[in-house]
Amino acid sequence: MNKNNLKGFEFFRGLVAILIAIAVAFIFIFICADDPAQALSCLLIKPIISNGALNVKSILTILGRTTPTIFTGLAVCVMFSADQFNLGGEGVTMLGGFIAVLLGIYLPMAAGVHAAVAIIISAIAGGAVMLIPALVKVKLKSSEMVTSLMLNYIILYVVLHFLNNTFADRTKGSTQTYEFLETAKVGTVVQGTELTYGFFIALIATVIIAIFMYRTRWGYAIRMIGINGQFAQYSGLKVGAIIIASQIIGGVLSGMGGAIECLGRYTTFRWLELPGYGWTGVTVAILAKNNPIFVPLAALFIAYLNRGCELMAIYAGVPAEMLDIIQAIIFLFFAAEQFLSKTRQKLVVKEAKQEISAKADVKGENA
Amino acid sequence: MPDNEYVVQMKGITKVYPNGIAANQGVDFNVKKGEIHALMGENGAGKSTLMKMLFGLEQPTDGEIFINGEKVNLTSPTVAISKGIGMVHQHFMLVPNLTVAENIVLGMEPKSKGFIDFKKAKQITEEYGKKYNLYVDPDAKVRDIPVGMKQKVEILKALVRGAQILILDEPTAVLTTQETDELFKELIHLKNQGHTMIFISHKLDEIKQITDRLTIMRAGKSMGVHETAGISKEEISRLMVGRDVVLTVQKEKAQPTDTVLKVRNLEYTNEWNKKMLDNISFDVRKGEILGIAGVEGNGQRELVDMLFNLNIPDSGTAEVNGKSIIGRPQREIRDMGVSLIPEDRMTYGIAGSATIEENLMSDRIANKKYNKGALFNTQAMHDDSDQLIKDYKVLCKTRNQQVGMLSGGNIQKVVVAREFSCNPGFIIADQPTRGIDVGATEFIRKKLVELSREGAAVLLVSADLNEVMELSDSLIVMVNGKIAAYFEDTSMLNDTIMGEYMLGIKQQSDEEVRRVIHE
Repeated sequence: MNKNNLKGFEFFRGLVAILIAIAVAFIFIFICADDPAQALSCLLIKPIISNGALNVKSILTILGRTTPTIFTGLAVCVMFSADQFNLGGEGVTMLGGFIAVLLGIYLPMAAGVHAAVAIIISAIAGGAVMLIPALVKVKLKSSEMVTSLMLNYIILYVVLHFLNNTFADRTKGSTQTYEFLETAKVGTVVQGTELTYGFFIALIATVIIAIFMYRTRWGYAIRMIGINGQFAQYSGLKVGAIIIASQIIGGVLSGMGGAIECLGRYTTFRWLELPGYGWTGVTVAILAKNNPIFVPLAALFIAYLNRGCELMAIYAGVPAEMLDIIQAIIFLFFAAEQFLSKTRQKLVVKEAKQEISAKADVKGENA
Repeated sequence: MPDNEYVVQMKGITKVYPNGIAANQGVDFNVKKGEIHALMGENGAGKSTLMKMLFGLEQPTDGEIFINGEKVNLTSPTVAISKGIGMVHQHFMLVPNLTVAENIVLGMEPKSKGFIDFKKAKQITEEYGKKYNLYVDPDAKVRDIPVGMKQKVEILKALVRGAQILILDEPTAVLTTQETDELFKELIHLKNQGHTMIFISHKLDEIKQITDRLTIMRAGKSMGVHETAGISKEEISRLMVGRDVVLTVQKEKAQPTDTVLKVRNLEYTNEWNKKMLDNISFDVRKGEILGIAGVEGNGQRELVDMLFNLNIPDSGTAEVNGKSIIGRPQREIRDMGVSLIPEDRMTYGIAGSATIEENLMSDRIANKKYNKGALFNTQAMHDDSDQLIKDYKVLCKTRNQQVGMLSGGNIQKVVVAREFSCNPGFIIADQPTRGIDVGATEFIRKKLVELSREGAAVLLVSADLNEVMELSDSLIVMVNGKIAAYFEDTSMLNDTIMGEYMLGIKQQSDEEVRRVIHE
């Protein structure tokens, strides 16, 4: 079987899934938009082009919005590669943001160092929290999916408890912390956009994780466990330790993402519900087929749609939830193993037949 | 055109699985009405695939199926059942917590006033049991009945659903001799009542005893149809295995020295309360190949599992060079110089969707040689992988190919390349050549002998009698979890002697068996 053909097919399948999702979105848009043409242009064109010229500000904002989902996407990539269906990225992102902001308020330090320390401590906290589902999985064999999912809500309510009762700034109209010190801020690259230096940290993280997964023995172990755990064990890989490590890495990345997001885009901590980046991270990782290198691209795609849907909501009266519908449909087709399986089967059969006849030819010549 | 003589006609059947493996290639298979037709072949020859298609579990990629002369499209077992086809699976498909009668009417329960009519279910069971001489206890829970009776329940289940054609997938594999005899009587009775049976097996004696005609499969193709009476066992075996000549391996006489593996009093009872290892003690010495012969399922698999920590014995010890290996992590066992060619290569031997290179490196990934600080030394990996691919003649385009896409023989070569190249002091080779082509088989056998002559201790477990007798310097026979015999010199052995011990007709005294302990 020619591997290239199959890879090409997987790409084709992904493309079809995206096209179907957008086509379905069109149907909804035609139903609920006052002016469908206007809505479509908002979704597809307006994010990058407005009034006939490239809208640089909007493009930079889209890039900036990929930052947190690149982190959660990478986190999910690493954990899914080890066959760990850990969905705790959501809560850990929130926790990371909360801790980073608190450190930004109460731990004065020099500019630059302050932000770095806050991010690193948040990342460590994120990793530590992920130890819970990881250890419970390895020691007690309980599903990491269930424990990590529940963990999200524990984190949410613990954070809200401390926000409401200890750290809230009572002078403000809504529940939020005091403003963190200017020294802890992750700087904005271009004023008036959402693009912060965090974006570049995310890209560096992508490269590091890609190298880690494909060029180190630990990344190798993670992938082998994901492909065939029994083989990994028989080969002498330390399966339990690697399963735990993969989830710690997931926690570190999610915590870091939350910290950078809060220190970059806000001045206080004001998330009163789960921020949603963890869930989007799952979509991103699935779009990227668990390959870290494709995570920024997948994140960009989602951020683009996100911006498009936002514009549709503003200018064309299409509900902002359209994004969730599109994401859900992509998700559905990407995750569906049998999607286009007949086409794939035909491809496989064709190749197998060629191989058989090629063998027969060789035999014929030999005789 | 369909022929009326046949109840089942499968024409030009080809099946390609999604992983690209062509399990059947243009197979023709015909069964006459009222006959017991054997379907024979080695593991992986494509028998199960063919039968799965006849029972609607799989759909052919190509080809046609006729039942009673009518072209059918068997899209599911439900359709197959409605055409009068029944299948008795090797692993019983019964609900253990329900009674025999409930199992038999499962999915077609007789009802009265909206409730299941248990009395009727019992009545149906008894009625069919009487008609077909298949006596079962309708009220017993399936989990409490012996294996032989479970099988009768399976057969009844198919008959109650109106099966005229019964597919029996290795029905005797799980039965004792008496149960087998009983089953055969029942099958003959069924045949006399006009039922047709397809009997999958590779036990030659049984085939000779009960079947009328036989079809032999090899490597996904049909090797022809024969009248059972008109073909000799030797001929069948030649067609099945495809080896006219017994492969012989040149080897010098072994000069065993120090004991490497020392196993003492291993005991293990499995979850079904069957004693799989019963006081097993033996030694394997440096420079010798100790073979373990025996009919499959007599404790060989369990023994190997214990030696690689894939399972834990109830009691007993196993040491390699004086160090215990029971319950130790695989990393530690491998570091002691132990390597294993696993019986189930797809489960333990490879990570299918990883590349050939990644599979070759799995046990040595942490070696200094392959790492530069935190990163891989990819050059060293590529060089060694290419060398191994060359040395072990793995047929592939590049080292980056997915290993799961290779043929069985080449997959096994990848496994062997890895397990032989780690400088092993003790090699466990569990069915090292099962289901692979002759070329690969010969290659692997030669390598095994070579390594033992260079000083490795080898434990060879094989259900292939030729193989254990040819390769082993000395061998033990396992029967019912015990060592039934030890032969210090295999050159004096022949099939007849081995057969008598393997089937438990003869057994050595404890004294004789104890000679395998070299203390």
